[in-house]
Amino acid sequence: MSDPLLAVTNLETHFPLRRGILRRTVGQVRAVDGVSFSIDRQKTLGLVGESGCGKTTVGRSILRLVEPTGGSIRFDGHDVRETSGAALRALRRRMQIVFQDPYGSLNPRMTVRAILEEGLVIHQMGEAADRLERMRRALEQTGMPATTLARYPHEFSGGQRQRIAIARALVLEPEFLVLDEPISALDVSIQAQVVNLLVELREKLGLTYLFISHDLSVVEHVSDEVAVMYLGRIVERAAAAEIARAALHPYTLALFSAVPNVDPARRRRRIVLGGDVPSPSRPPAGCRFNPRCPLAETVCREIDPPAVVVDGHHVHCHLAAREIERADGNATVAAGRIAAAMQAATTVNSG
Amino acid sequence: MTQRDDMRPAPTGFWADAWSRFRRKPLAMAALLFLVGLMLVAILAPLIAGTRPVLCRYKGRIYAPCLAYFSRSLEPSIFAKDRFRGTYPTNLREKDPDSWAIWPLVFQDPYRAVRADEWPGRPENPARDEGRPSRLNLFGTDQAGVDVFAKMVHGTTIALLVGFVSMGIAGTIGLIVGALGGYFGGWVDMLTSRITEIVMCIPTLVLILAMISLLEKPTIWHTMAIIGMTGWTGIARLTRGEFLRLKNSEFVMAARAAGAGPVRIMLRHILPNALAPVLVPITFGIASAILTESSLSFLGFGPPPPTASWGSILNDARGNLSMWWLVVFPGVAIFLTVLSYNLIGEGLQEATDPRLREARK
Repeated sequence: MSDPLLAVTNLETHFPLRRGILRRTVGQVRAVDGVSFSIDRQKTLGLVGESGCGKTTVGRSILRLVEPTGGSIRFDGHDVRETSGAALRALRRRMQIVFQDPYGSLNPRMTVRAILEEGLVIHQMGEAADRLERMRRALEQTGMPATTLARYPHEFSGGQRQRIAIARALVLEPEFLVLDEPISALDVSIQAQVVNLLVELREKLGLTYLFISHDLSVVEHVSDEVAVMYLGRIVERAAAAEIARAALHPYTLALFSAVPNVDPARRRRRIVLGGDVPSPSRPPAGCRFNPRCPLAETVCREIDPPAVVVDGHHVHCHLAAREIERADGNATVAAGRIAAAMQAATTVNSG
Repeated sequence: MTQRDDMRPAPTGFWADAWSRFRRKPLAMAALLFLVGLMLVAILAPLIAGTRPVLCRYKGRIYAPCLAYFSRSLEPSIFAKDRFRGTYPTNLREKDPDSWAIWPLVFQDPYRAVRADEWPGRPENPARDEGRPSRLNLFGTDQAGVDVFAKMVHGTTIALLVGFVSMGIAGTIGLIVGALGGYFGGWVDMLTSRITEIVMCIPTLVLILAMISLLEKPTIWHTMAIIGMTGWTGIARLTRGEFLRLKNSEFVMAARAAGAGPVRIMLRHILPNALAPVLVPITFGIASAILTESSLSFLGFGPPPPTASWGSILNDARGNLSMWWLVVFPGVAIFLTVLSYNLIGEGLQEATDPRLREARK
């Protein structure tokens, strides 16, 4: 198998916390704290987690829209963190981003044409007539008429704006797209259309996606692989079907139990977690999830769990590691036991 | 997604929208019309009041001596050679019986009193408290008998220039300083913010008075420059705030993702979005610059004679308060101009501020 298009290793993005008139750094917000994953060409990695867990920062760090503080990002063999100037600009053309809020991501003072054309001008792609052709094509690909070009963003609905935002990314002919909650701000009736458009574009243009969302059912539908983030870390990563069927991490189980499901056979009892997500400026010792984990043990409070990998299923959990060992490496059996333990623990707690 | 593209009205930009909202405010529109009128008065001053013909035919050629009011060098040399000494009507008739002339609306000079029989059959301008408003001197005359209406008409240019030039300087400095501080943050912001605070502590009037005492030949341009160089702080602070707010917006991120550099982002993405709120304090700044200049002139530190300014007419009134017309007319003119700028500023604010806009829908 060829090298992955994007390989992120131990990515860290910390924001300094400054206080007082001298703006002394009094602490760090560890928004992303040691995240590793890779995405193969034409595949989609879904990144899920609660708000504030750092998934958006991961997406922005990859494009260096926020500056990572540690780790490495390799895109098609180039070290993104080591590039700058023209080389970084060239890399950014190949990696584009679609933001969550289509009302905030389009400059209200520019026509759609100016918005789409800007990247083409910066990257010196084509002459004027050719650029117009490229813009028309990008709009067509996203299902917008060519008359869109002369208009301003405020003349469009949320779904149409998001299509324009996608067209802006596509016009640069990227290989990789960071989709940062691209449907969360849209009406439910429009979400499905945009998701289908994204899937269709991926097939047609051979794109690779990092699909960031808090909507598990959508992520499951779109992604080949799913990574679950909690407090700046990825706690579990596995193939989309696998993670839905045999989640190993207690947090993933809790997350999935919250997804409404019309199929009664698949309906799970809701696992309600106690407490709140701790502040990323003071993450707990040991496993990050231990203060809220119904199954936490002493070891969880002391030792940060290392990754355990079974058949490409990564999980950071002491309990999961033990259960996998007990089940002789059979992740499905281990997952069943953990799920049962979770159900039991939360029932007792709530009873 | 609903397709209703073809039913939409013609695309409208932000400024077109703002203009259509501004147009619906009668007070702001009246103020705007008043200022446009003032600008016309400033440009057409020699056509409105003066003692030089707008156009005249003299010894077979056509001249426009009124241009001399803009610059002495524009006065055709033939009139100096023929010793007109600034008195045209009698000289024209005596020296070339075939001559004709188109005169300004009001035959009065802003720099000197009209003498007896300069215009056939007209008495000389009254001086001191005799010079109350009359048919020949609409706004009266000052101590020396110079027509106040002519002085005010020709002083309009200064009143407007003071506002535009000083706020042009202030706006440029303020936008640049604020943009740099807001966009780059860190030590740049630290530096620009402290400089802004220091400049904010400088009292403009005192600085101008100090400059006037130091300079050999202080002109109105020095005053404008100082008002501009001390008046940018509010603009800088507002611009900084807008840049801080907008630099983390998603459309700026998107532009960075597209490869845009800092200059392009600041000029193309942030500035157009930051401009509307900044225009408002600029408008108010013009009003206060006019007031500052008037105060200076009133205190006697205005432009040196013979340049006329509204404030310097007020200054004349200090010597003899019974000459009420020296207070009322320039006072009303200053008041209306400042009020107009304030109304326009307010109108702009309401037309461009999205929050106010929503509230009024």
